[in-house]
Amino acid sequence: MWTYLRRRIVSSAIPLVVVILGVFALARLTGNPANLYLPLNATDQMREDFAARNGFNDPLLVQMGNYVGGVFRLDFGTSLRTGEDAAAMALRAFPATLQLAGVTMFLAIILAVLVGSWAALKPNGIADRVSSFISMAAASIPDFWLAIVGIFVFAITLGWLPTSGVASGASWVLPIATLLLRPFGVLVQIVRGAMVSSLSEPYIKLAKSKGASSSRVVFRHALRNAAAPALTVAGDLAVGLVNGAVVVETIFGWPGIGKLMIDSILQRDFAVLQAAVLITAISIFTLNILIDLGYALLDPRVRPAGSIRKRRVHAQAIA
Amino acid sequence: MPKPLPEPQLPPGGRAIAPLDTQTLSVVESVPTKSIPLYRLLLKDRFATAAAIVLSLVILTAVFGPMLVGDLATKQDLSATNRPPFSGADGWQFILGSDSLGRSMLARLIVATRTTLSVAVPAVTVALLLGSLWGLWAGYHRGWRETISMRIGDIIMSFPSLLLAVVVLFVFDPSIANIILILALTRIPIYLRTARAESAELQSRTFVDAARTFGTKPSTIIRRHVVPVVMPTMLTLATLEFCYVMLAESSLSFLGIGIQPPDVSWGLMVAQGRQYLQTAWWLSLLPGLAIVITTVAANVLAAWLRIATDPAQRWRLTLPRKKLIARIPVKETH
Amino acid sequence: MLSSSPISRTLRTSKRLAPLVIGAGLVMVLASCTVANSGGSGGGGEAGSLLRVVLPQEPPTLEPCEGSLTSTGIVTRSNITEPLVERNPTSGELEPLLATEWEATGDTEWTFTLRDDVTFSDGSPFTAASAAFAIDRAVNSDLGCNIEGYVFGDDDLVVEAVDDTTLTVTTVRPDPILPLRLSFVEIVPESTSATEKVREPIGTGPYSIASWDTGTKLTLDRNETYWGDAPAYASTEYQWRAEGTVRAAMVTSGEADVAVGLSPDDGAGDLGVSYANNETVALRMSGDLPPLDDIRVRQAINYAIDNTGIIDSLYTDATKSAAQLIPSGVVGFNDELEPWAYDVEEAKALVAEAKADGVPVDAEITLVARNAMFPKITEMAQVLQEELTQIGLNVKLSMVDTSQSLVYQLRPFVRNEGPIVQLIQHGNQAGDAQFSVDQYMTSTGAQSTFGTAEFDAMLEAAGQLSGDERAAAYEEIFAYQNENVVQFATIAHMVGEIALAPTVTYTPDAATGDEIRLADFSPVS
Repeated sequence: MWTYLRRRIVSSAIPLVVVILGVFALARLTGNPANLYLPLNATDQMREDFAARNGFNDPLLVQMGNYVGGVFRLDFGTSLRTGEDAAAMALRAFPATLQLAGVTMFLAIILAVLVGSWAALKPNGIADRVSSFISMAAASIPDFWLAIVGIFVFAITLGWLPTSGVASGASWVLPIATLLLRPFGVLVQIVRGAMVSSLSEPYIKLAKSKGASSSRVVFRHALRNAAAPALTVAGDLAVGLVNGAVVVETIFGWPGIGKLMIDSILQRDFAVLQAAVLITAISIFTLNILIDLGYALLDPRVRPAGSIRKRRVHAQAIA
Repeated sequence: MPKPLPEPQLPPGGRAIAPLDTQTLSVVESVPTKSIPLYRLLLKDRFATAAAIVLSLVILTAVFGPMLVGDLATKQDLSATNRPPFSGADGWQFILGSDSLGRSMLARLIVATRTTLSVAVPAVTVALLLGSLWGLWAGYHRGWRETISMRIGDIIMSFPSLLLAVVVLFVFDPSIANIILILALTRIPIYLRTARAESAELQSRTFVDAARTFGTKPSTIIRRHVVPVVMPTMLTLATLEFCYVMLAESSLSFLGIGIQPPDVSWGLMVAQGRQYLQTAWWLSLLPGLAIVITTVAANVLAAWLRIATDPAQRWRLTLPRKKLIARIPVKETH
Repeated sequence: MLSSSPISRTLRTSKRLAPLVIGAGLVMVLASCTVANSGGSGGGGEAGSLLRVVLPQEPPTLEPCEGSLTSTGIVTRSNITEPLVERNPTSGELEPLLATEWEATGDTEWTFTLRDDVTFSDGSPFTAASAAFAIDRAVNSDLGCNIEGYVFGDDDLVVEAVDDTTLTVTTVRPDPILPLRLSFVEIVPESTSATEKVREPIGTGPYSIASWDTGTKLTLDRNETYWGDAPAYASTEYQWRAEGTVRAAMVTSGEADVAVGLSPDDGAGDLGVSYANNETVALRMSGDLPPLDDIRVRQAINYAIDNTGIIDSLYTDATKSAAQLIPSGVVGFNDELEPWAYDVEEAKALVAEAKADGVPVDAEITLVARNAMFPKITEMAQVLQEELTQIGLNVKLSMVDTSQSLVYQLRPFVRNEGPIVQLIQHGNQAGDAQFSVDQYMTSTGAQSTFGTAEFDAMLEAAGQLSGDERAAAYEEIFAYQNENVVQFATIAHMVGEIALAPTVTYTPDAATGDEIRLADFSPVS
């Protein structure tokens, strides 16, 4: 497993570089941010000085080279907007999003597995219909709308929860509930669909004929085989949460990296954008590696080519 | 005594069924499924039928609606702003109320249907086709093709889609085509990864192995054996993605970088209406409701389709209603 | 799957459980960590000791020389730092603050007499040397301060501390409003870096920075060595929320005492207070590109816009129809100017006349508007597009983000997309028309698309005058703009809205949008 891990880490390095340089180039396509940072009637001289100070007049490759050189010295540049170190800003904002995304995904997976399996036991039964309907509806509601309505209902009208911010434990409830709905809805569908498929597989009958009780059947055999597509989708949802909790962070004033990224995009604060993207990309790659490891653990047939274990199992299957 | 099945062979697109299951199949054989046309199966399931009707209405609205409504959707009337729905007094065009510029909500919803669908459907279709085919190919071949494909998928997934959206929409042109482009591009990795995972899993299955031993070309194997097995999951994914794309479009509008006025989409209407939630709730609620209804209908129909197109599952839909509710695994009835 | 040894089965089971367990543990550890020092006060402080303010965005920095940036100035100005003189927003008069007297002692020289009882919050004394340093730093240095560009332009000032309480400031050209300009320069001690901007400054103001949880919260504490009257609240806590409805909700649910930058529909209800901020909204036309280079077309545009209709349907009663770029209260406001009448027939006639003369009125005109620049800008832009289309012009709406809109808004503008009309909002913070006309009306102004030589001469001359002559000259200028230049179609003088908790007393004024003077707040007794 360690060779696999090493190989994955190394092979993730190049995409990481591609992402960073891609963001670098794309951001500079948006033009000179001088207008945003200089007073409205700045003279041409001031604009020249600004561009020279930040190297915006150099050719793109030169700018890239300087940036990469800086990265090796662990210098990710300073924010045009605040003057702080860009990496410090990104690192400060990231844990907030990670916590939010982590707790949300955890709850979403558990709830989805429970509800999805329960629904799959009796396809087209009442439980299935109701849970399908609810999960589909849950996955269809615009998140910002839900957030604002949630604030209106639970914070203003009922007064049970704080409107926003990060002050107390209770302030986690609305953001997580808002973020949770879509992953939950999607995962319930996937889990249910995959469970229905795998529960109709012949080996389930085999297990039953060997005397296994039906819940053991469900959770041991079927769930494991349903795990592969569920894991993929869960992984993508998690990535989506990290990348896109922007809306929730914006509305609830959550100091996370999504808000930092959208602000730095709209303010053309390149250094912070690049640092934020770097951190997010690293975490996404890490997440993908973990998911692939999860696959391999769950389903021996998907183990990476060259693994001895795979050949052994394959041989056993044919024998 | 039900007649025994012919020799188990590899049915095209079917899962390999070991001899052990002839008993199950023999129960099913008593109700031949191939002869029942799809629409009859559909009518047996009330929810799926309802969903199909709703979706057809939506599609018809998208295609013909704007023509019927004319310019009612853009006609402003500053003296009739924020009229609530169902107040009846102002004429049929204000049956669903009016927006902050006095335009008919009904007309705007109808015109928005076309825009929303013309963004969501192509985006999902493009991503589905490109991502799935790519993933199947990568998962089948394994090796370096798989690795490179996965890494490219990683790149796309970790690329900030917001930046892409801002750049494409503002530096180039905030047109619908560009929005479709962005939404499709950023969703390709999910199809890629799922298709690859399923394809890789199947690749070691007996029937695929057998076909390979017979010397069948990879593309044929993919087409005849892998695709039909993977398709149901991909279709489920696609309908979920359809819903996601509509929501993503509304989030982009919320952030100010999606469909721009004077174009109108459901997502934009929800985003614009959010400032009026306490005073003119229908501005946000009605288009939001449209989104929810359409996606739920699409999902219900897709779930039904998934079962109907999977030969191993189709029998479920042919049972009379009370037998439709079956505990798994199926009880022997003979 | 058909045969698996017991060993591998157990292995698989435990391996399946392991990630779950690890994952669960990890998440619980993460969840137990607080989010960035968030152990703060969620509930209110005791009335009279803590004032909680919620802003639309976090101040990017608290550098005083960026004080003309609203997001910075709203916290620093007159709270953490103070200028020599301060403009009273209601009367328009300059009032003494750190300076007690000032007079013009020469054509280009002003002399200020300063207070002698002031210390900075770090204990160092305030002297003319500090004032000289601060002005030098803001205006003459290479820092690239926002104030420099906004208020002073290219010319440097020569400042000299004659003695501890006397300061002379010499300008390149005669400048009758130098003290007004200096009201933007906030004084910092000489220990402040002159080569870099600082995020957390020291000042002489009634409050000083206690802590800044970047991203979450900013706290100011009362400065116990303040030279003036102590403010009512011992400390102030700033938070920020991007959504207006959430800001209003925080006040109505008791989580904040003051919310700024609201729109009338945000749900503040009875706790909302409107005030005339000094913002004016107008359409600026690129009068050097056909068909907008024909004055009849520009006049037609003015006639086509229904100011009253827009205001009545979108905004509150206090919003006034505008005839010029500055609101009343600013020196140079011409109270005899009437807004253009809403006359669609006249507009159509003018357009037809121009068309008959060969002016390409069918050319596509782009109406550019910045998202979220002011409440309901999207709606207003759509109404404008509709109204202009009705008179026979071909207008396409383009909503853009801030950065993009600045490209259209500032010199050298956008020249390859045809004629442009842009929705602008101008806030004259200074209280003198020169700040507006220099930018918007000269031929080379940073936001002026065209001008005439004759107009330029008028503008130059007016800038040299002072007192009543000055006011009269600028009034004349605004009238001239509407008659002969017609670069703008002014629409409305806007109204701002804030929400105040019932435990707080405060009366907003025209400056509230740009600076919130904490000393003006007091608890309801």
